[in-house]
Amino acid sequence: MMLRRAMILITAGLMLAACSRRQEPEQPQPAEPPPPTQQPTVNQDSIDAARRAAEEAARREAAARAARTTLEEMVFFDYDDSSIRQDQQDVLNRKVALLRANPAVTLRITGHADERGSLEYNLALGRARANSVRDYIAGFGLQATRFTTDSMGEDRPLDPGHTESAYERNRRAEFAITAGGDNLMPPGGDR
Amino acid sequence: MQTTMDKVMRASRFLFVAAALAAAPLAAQQQDLPPGVMLETRYSKAGRQTLAVRPFEALGAPETAAASIAGIIRNDLTISDRFQMAFVPQQLATGEIDYTQWNGLNIVWLVAGSVTPAGSGFQISVTLHDVVYGNARQTQTFSLPDLAHSDFRMAVHAVSDQIVRWISNQPGMAATRIAFVRQNEGGTYDLLVVDSDGENMRRISGSASLVYSPSWSQDGTKVVYTVHLEEGGWRLMERDMATGATRTVREATGEEQLLTPSYIPNTPKIAYAQWAGAAMQVFEFDGAQARPITDGRAMSMSPTFSADGQRFAFLSSRTGRQHIYAANADGRNAIVVTPFGESVEYSAPDWQPTGTRLVFHGASRGTFQIMMADAARPGGQIQQLTSTGRNEDPSWAPDGRHIVYTSQPTLSAGTASLYVIDTVTGEIRLLVSGGAGAKLRLAAWSPSLAGTVNTLQAHTENGTSNKSPSKEMR
Repeated sequence: MMLRRAMILITAGLMLAACSRRQEPEQPQPAEPPPPTQQPTVNQDSIDAARRAAEEAARREAAARAARTTLEEMVFFDYDDSSIRQDQQDVLNRKVALLRANPAVTLRITGHADERGSLEYNLALGRARANSVRDYIAGFGLQATRFTTDSMGEDRPLDPGHTESAYERNRRAEFAITAGGDNLMPPGGDR
Repeated sequence: MQTTMDKVMRASRFLFVAAALAAAPLAAQQQDLPPGVMLETRYSKAGRQTLAVRPFEALGAPETAAASIAGIIRNDLTISDRFQMAFVPQQLATGEIDYTQWNGLNIVWLVAGSVTPAGSGFQISVTLHDVVYGNARQTQTFSLPDLAHSDFRMAVHAVSDQIVRWISNQPGMAATRIAFVRQNEGGTYDLLVVDSDGENMRRISGSASLVYSPSWSQDGTKVVYTVHLEEGGWRLMERDMATGATRTVREATGEEQLLTPSYIPNTPKIAYAQWAGAAMQVFEFDGAQARPITDGRAMSMSPTFSADGQRFAFLSSRTGRQHIYAANADGRNAIVVTPFGESVEYSAPDWQPTGTRLVFHGASRGTFQIMMADAARPGGQIQQLTSTGRNEDPSWAPDGRHIVYTSQPTLSAGTASLYVIDTVTGEIRLLVSGGAGAKLRLAAWSPSLAGTVNTLQAHTENGTSNKSPSKEMR
């Protein structure tokens, strides 16, 4: 008898969790246990179920955070070069997987340059870098219209220093999620 | 009575010394330069004739006004770098002009003038004396506004340019301004303008957005520039320099980038750079339609036109490296002007308003230096004009000999100032200091603004030059 009640509660809990996942855009799951005053006789099993639901929500939140971090991860370039470096391809490949899992996501790609080149040329170079990133990602069959590109030239350095290592960090493309950034799904998820 | 031969003798004295001084240190530096580039060895202060500006007489006008006017003219003629400026002894500062005495001081040209009140301003009479021939070469009266008028200094600068023209039959650069951007610490930008003598600097556009690449119209009444809005979007804006009114010349659709605008002389068109597919090209825009006038891979940008609008130079990275090209105005016959070499980039060209020379910057020993080439002699020798610090983004003065550019001691200095170099004598002067945390960049030198000074009504009273035998170029 006890076992059956527990099973029902667990099933109900899972269904609730599943429902809440689908409803998430409107109603992020707060994962709050019901106030004890209303249900003074609530048993241990329902508390466990609620905790599991909360843990599931936390897992999904962490996955969404990780997805956001991956989507926003910068890529870096060689001096006066807008081609995608081999060692930067993994960063972009991870984005591709996420962009597939989250078709509503759109990105703004902003290219940057270090301060060594000409000011005006760097404005164009930053844009060439952003275009190069867009073309690489879109090359995996993603719609190019999901991406906008811009350039800040040398005007927004990541590292204000004047050393080679500062320049390496400043020759980059940055990514900003412009739409579809809520409730990001991990790559290869249940869709 | 001295002759032209005496002038030649005076000049040749300087020539010999200058050549001897120049030869030694340059030989050592020459080895480190990029292939095809030579450090300018033809700098010469020789042949600069001695000129004096006598204190102007105040005829009913305040002494301060006369002193101010003569002071501006003296400074203009000094920074024209065309003359050896002479000190005026006290006993020659007033009274009748005795050519024998001035000649005894080896002075070739003497500028004298008088100032009388006229309305709220002044009328000045200026005489250029040819001391060698012992006559008044030119006399002209000019109307000037009062000292506090915003056009006062520019009106006096126009007088200085007239004196230069009397002597050399060449355009001066006193009655001009330089537009530039100030890159503030934190990445904001302002658009500013300053007179050719470093006075009267003022901000003409605020820091709400990023401002780049100012460029003057042929008549000096307008400046076109690029604006990048922080929230995205590029625009070409044009400012009427008299009224301060601005208008949008071209607004980018979507994420289009609009860079490096430049007026095309003798046309209503503006050239600029824009992406066309995977490559950036130079376009010409007539107010309604834009069409590309360059082709090729990678990036072509920074168009700059000859004074007749028939030719233009631009930067292109079509070969993988940045080089300066020259082409017909329609883009045909594009020829690379700069020499090919390892790790050398050339950028930011500007076409000489009086000829075919191009100035630009190129990397030399890892840092930018100002260089000069001749668009009429592609593949010819390039001359490097600067050698200390990092120097970039040059722009010609309308006299076709001075260049304004950005200079900083090192890239990490955190400040960059505007300097002027005379390509003939090598004289360098500070135009505007950047100060802590500010970089002054992308300077654009205006054409002569003498015609835009409304209050200046000059007329020739009498010109004796037509009768003078000394018509030869001096």
